[in-house]
Amino acid sequence: MTVVPPPQAQSSGGGSSSSLYDVLELVLDRGLVIDAFVRVSLVGIELIKIDVRVVVASVDTYLRFAEAVGRLDLESGPNKSPGLPEVVGQVTESGARGKSKGALSGAAETVSDALTRGREEGEKENEERPRRRSSSQSRSRSKESDE
Amino acid sequence: MSTYVYGIVRAEQPELPKETDGIGDPPQPVRTLTEGELAAVVSDAPEELSPQRRDLLAHQHVLTLAAEHGTVLPLRFGSLSPDDDAVRGVLAERTGHYLERLRELEGKIEYNVKAVHNEEAVLREVMDSDPELREFTKAARESGGGTYEQRLKLGEMVAGAVRQREERDAPLVAEELAPAAAEASSGPAGQGWLSNVSFLVDRDDADRFVAAVRRLGEEHPQLEVQAYGPLPPYSFVERGPADGPAQ
Repeated sequence: MTVVPPPQAQSSGGGSSSSLYDVLELVLDRGLVIDAFVRVSLVGIELIKIDVRVVVASVDTYLRFAEAVGRLDLESGPNKSPGLPEVVGQVTESGARGKSKGALSGAAETVSDALTRGREEGEKENEERPRRRSSSQSRSRSKESDE
Repeated sequence: MSTYVYGIVRAEQPELPKETDGIGDPPQPVRTLTEGELAAVVSDAPEELSPQRRDLLAHQHVLTLAAEHGTVLPLRFGSLSPDDDAVRGVLAERTGHYLERLRELEGKIEYNVKAVHNEEAVLREVMDSDPELREFTKAARESGGGTYEQRLKLGEMVAGAVRQREERDAPLVAEELAPAAAEASSGPAGQGWLSNVSFLVDRDDADRFVAAVRRLGEEHPQLEVQAYGPLPPYSFVERGPADGPAQ
């Protein structure tokens, strides 16, 4: 499978299993359904339906945006450092919207949470950020890479 | 022992390699059940089947292989038949319909395109286009962030402006890429993306489509656009409303 990354993509991000990962919602939600067949229960999968897309009108959101623009270097051009790391981290954790660079990884995490239900906690932790690293056996890293 | 069904192909399509792994742990070997002009790609079902990552990927993998060999009607994850005979029965009963779908999808593949806002780029755009907001921001900063009320007000204004741009940009993917595709279908909604759209593309047009995706990203730097494919035509296998989420 080919992945066409955004032009300004920060990592090469093309490991084939991580890109498969980004379309798993199609496997779960699309495809032919034949009524003569039983479908496996998808209990728990509703999790991936949580809508985190829109800017929600809330005090938290407002404060976050105020902080975000406060950090913006208003004098400089568009090629500044990515910025907003704490904001992003915080928001991702609370399940709200607002990923900047890593938006897809945020979405994938949500899927991952659903998919790893019922597996051991320790294992789950390792799978939470499938797209941060571009390739392979990411079993035991990823902690320090996110700061 | 129930039978897990991955997809439906034409009987004449070459079988998958013998060592193809299906779902389960250990992976069940994938096999083919032929009935007249059709064949189903199946494996034994594991004792316990739940939507976990390993099995979802296996399902995807088998279908991707099948699509490489020809045209496949992908089944949704988790389709179980009581046994092989029941699968053959379904193929026999609906032969005309499935052959029609296979003809329709012949030579076509799916690309899934997701776009998100680059938050910093959008905030910059907001600041650049609204001098008042910009001054407000500077003033707040100079007074050490401003009072709680000021920050709330500033944040509300910014949030409003960002929301406007979300509304403005959300349709871009569908609008700009539709001309390069045969068909479009909105992906499952609400997972953190500004837009998530699948496109049915002629294999022969794949390069043109991919080029259109690149162009979209370049022309709209506030968007981060990512395309995944070629995929089996998950989103186009069922005739129905060509657009809109399936529920």
